[in-house]
Amino acid sequence: MSKIAIISQPEQGVLIDVGGCATLQEATQHLTCTLQVSSHFWEEQPVDLNLGALSLTRDELGQVLATLSEVGVKPRQVFARSAGTKAALRAFNIVPAAGEPTTEAAVQAATAGDEPCESTATSTAGNESGQSPPASKSGKKQASKPAAKAEAPATTSGDAAVSVTIAEAAIDSAPPTTDQADNDEAENDEEAPLTFEPGDDAEESVTVSEAEAPVAPKEPAKPAAPYIMYLRQTLRSGQSISHKGHLVIIGDVNAGAEVVAEGDITIWGALRGIAHAGVAGDTDAEIRALRFDPIQLRIAHAIARSPDRPKNDKRSNGPETARVVNGTIRISVSMPD
Amino acid sequence: MSGRVIVITSGKGGVGKTTASANIGTALAQSGASVALVDMDIGLRNLDILMGLENRVVYNLVDVIEEKCKLRQALVKDKRLPNLCLLPAAQTRDKSAVNPEQMQKLCAELKTMFDFIVLDSPAGIEGGFQSAIAGAEEAVVITTPEMSAVRDADRVIGLLEAKKDAISQYRLVINRIRPNMVKTNDMMSVDDVLEILSVRLLGVVPEDEDIIVSTNRGEPIAGTDNTRAGQAYRNIAGRLRGEDVPFLDLTPKDPTWINKIVKIFTPAARV
Repeated sequence: MSKIAIISQPEQGVLIDVGGCATLQEATQHLTCTLQVSSHFWEEQPVDLNLGALSLTRDELGQVLATLSEVGVKPRQVFARSAGTKAALRAFNIVPAAGEPTTEAAVQAATAGDEPCESTATSTAGNESGQSPPASKSGKKQASKPAAKAEAPATTSGDAAVSVTIAEAAIDSAPPTTDQADNDEAENDEEAPLTFEPGDDAEESVTVSEAEAPVAPKEPAKPAAPYIMYLRQTLRSGQSISHKGHLVIIGDVNAGAEVVAEGDITIWGALRGIAHAGVAGDTDAEIRALRFDPIQLRIAHAIARSPDRPKNDKRSNGPETARVVNGTIRISVSMPD
Repeated sequence: MSGRVIVITSGKGGVGKTTASANIGTALAQSGASVALVDMDIGLRNLDILMGLENRVVYNLVDVIEEKCKLRQALVKDKRLPNLCLLPAAQTRDKSAVNPEQMQKLCAELKTMFDFIVLDSPAGIEGGFQSAIAGAEEAVVITTPEMSAVRDADRVIGLLEAKKDAISQYRLVINRIRPNMVKTNDMMSVDDVLEILSVRLLGVVPEDEDIIVSTNRGEPIAGTDNTRAGQAYRNIAGRLRGEDVPFLDLTPKDPTWINKIVKIFTPAARV
C-alpha cells in the first residue's frame, strides 16, 4: 500500500494502513500528519491499525500508540506480521488481530478499477481481468467534438492491445460485469410489479410500498447508508484514499494521487489526479470539484481521460460536475439540483 | 521472437535516465523495431509524462507483477508510433513492490513480444536498481560531464561488472555536454570522462534547450528533426542496432564576423 492509506467502511470502521512504511520514523511521521489534518474525523470511530511488516520494540510501539491516543484514537484491532511487533503488542495487553486486514485486498482491487471482492491479490489473473477493464465503456471529456469521440475507444492502453483484452474479458466473464447485471435486474424488478401483479394476484389493493419493495436489490450497488468521509487535507502524488461511501475532500487532489469511493466524490479544491467514483458499479455516482483538471476520471466502469493537448489557457471554468450519461462521462458546469 | 533487454541506469539522479529512455525507445521504434519501455521508478514515475501518455495509464507494472491484470492490458501504446509501448510504474506504491525474480520473469515474457525492452532504472543502487538490472542483458550507463555524476557512474559500472554473467555489455552515454565550455576547459571533455571510466562510448548528447520543451510537451525529442539532441539519440539507437554511425561533430565552430556582431546584441545567458 501507499505510505498513508486510510480505508473506511461503514460497517467495519476505519483501517489506518502504515504497512507500506519501511521504518518506524517514517510511519510515525505519516501517522502524525494524517491524524492531525483530519482530527475531527476520528471521533467515535472504531479504528484498526495495520503495521504490516514493521518490526517494533515495546518502546517504539508505545510511541505509535501515544501518537494515536493524542487525538483520542484507541485502535480496536492491530494487525502485524512481524513476530517482534506481536510480542510488543502483547506487552501492551493488545491481542494482535488474526490474519491480514481484509479491507486491503478489497481496496487494492478497487484502486485497480475492479469490483471490491473478498479475494486476495493471489486470485487468478483471468478472473480479475474478467471483471475489470474499465476501458470497455470509454468516455471523452466534453465529447461534443466528433473527432474527440472517434478517438475515445483508445482510452486505456492503446488500440490493438486493448481491444484484444476486452474481447478476452468478455469471454472470461460470461455474465456481464457484476454491477451491470445488478442494475439490469433491478430495473426489471422495478417494472415487473407494474406489469404482472394486478393480473397475477387479482388483488387491487397493491399499495405503493409493496410495489416498491422488489426494488430493494438495487440498493447494494449504492452505499448502504449515505456514509460520508470528510477529509481536510491536500492529497499529494502517491497518496491514495479509498472509502466505501461518499467522500468529501477539503483540499486539492494533486497529479499522481488517487481518490476512490463507492459513492460520490466532492473536492473543495482542484482535482488534478485520478478520481474514481462509484467503484462498486454505481453509475449514478458523481465527481465534482471546484477546479477540474484531472488526468483521468472514472465513474463505475466508464473512464475518461484528459485531452492530449493541454489547454493553453489556465483559466478555470469554475466548479464542474462529472456524471455518466449514456455510458460515457460528461462534464458540466455545476448547478445546484 | 527474442528481444534484447537494455537497462538505462546512472547511479546519480537527474542526469537524464528517463529522458534517454524515452528518446532511445522512440528512436528505436522509428527505425521499425517493436519496443517496450518499462518504467522501473515505482513511486516516482515520470516516463509516462515524458511520453505524453500519463492520461492513458490504467494498470501498471505492479498490477502486472501482482497478477491483477494481464501484461497486454497494462501496456500503453504510444500516440505516434504503433510499435512502441509503455509499461508504466505504479505511483502509489514503493520500490519494495517488485523483486528481482519477478522482474526476470516479466522480462522473459516481454522478450517474446518485442524486439527491444528498454528499462528505465531509478536513481540509486538499492532495491529498485537491483530489480531493474535483474532482467537486463545489456546496460547503458548515463553520465554528465561532472565529477559527481562520473563518480556515481563508476560505482554503477562496478556493480554491473559484478553481474558479468547476466549483463553481456555496458556502454556509456555522456549527456548534457556543452562544447563551448569544454573548449574553454570549464567542463570535462568526452575524453576526460572516458579516461576515468574506461568503457565503450555509445553516444554523446549535447545540452539542448529543446529537451525542456519536449519534456513539458510529452513528445520525445528524438521524434523531431533538426534538433542536435534528437539527432544524437537517433545515432545512439542506430549504434544499439549494430549500425556504424559516426559521432556528432560537437566542436564549436569559430565564430564568423557576422556571428560575432550578433553575439554582441544577444544576452549572455544563451549557450
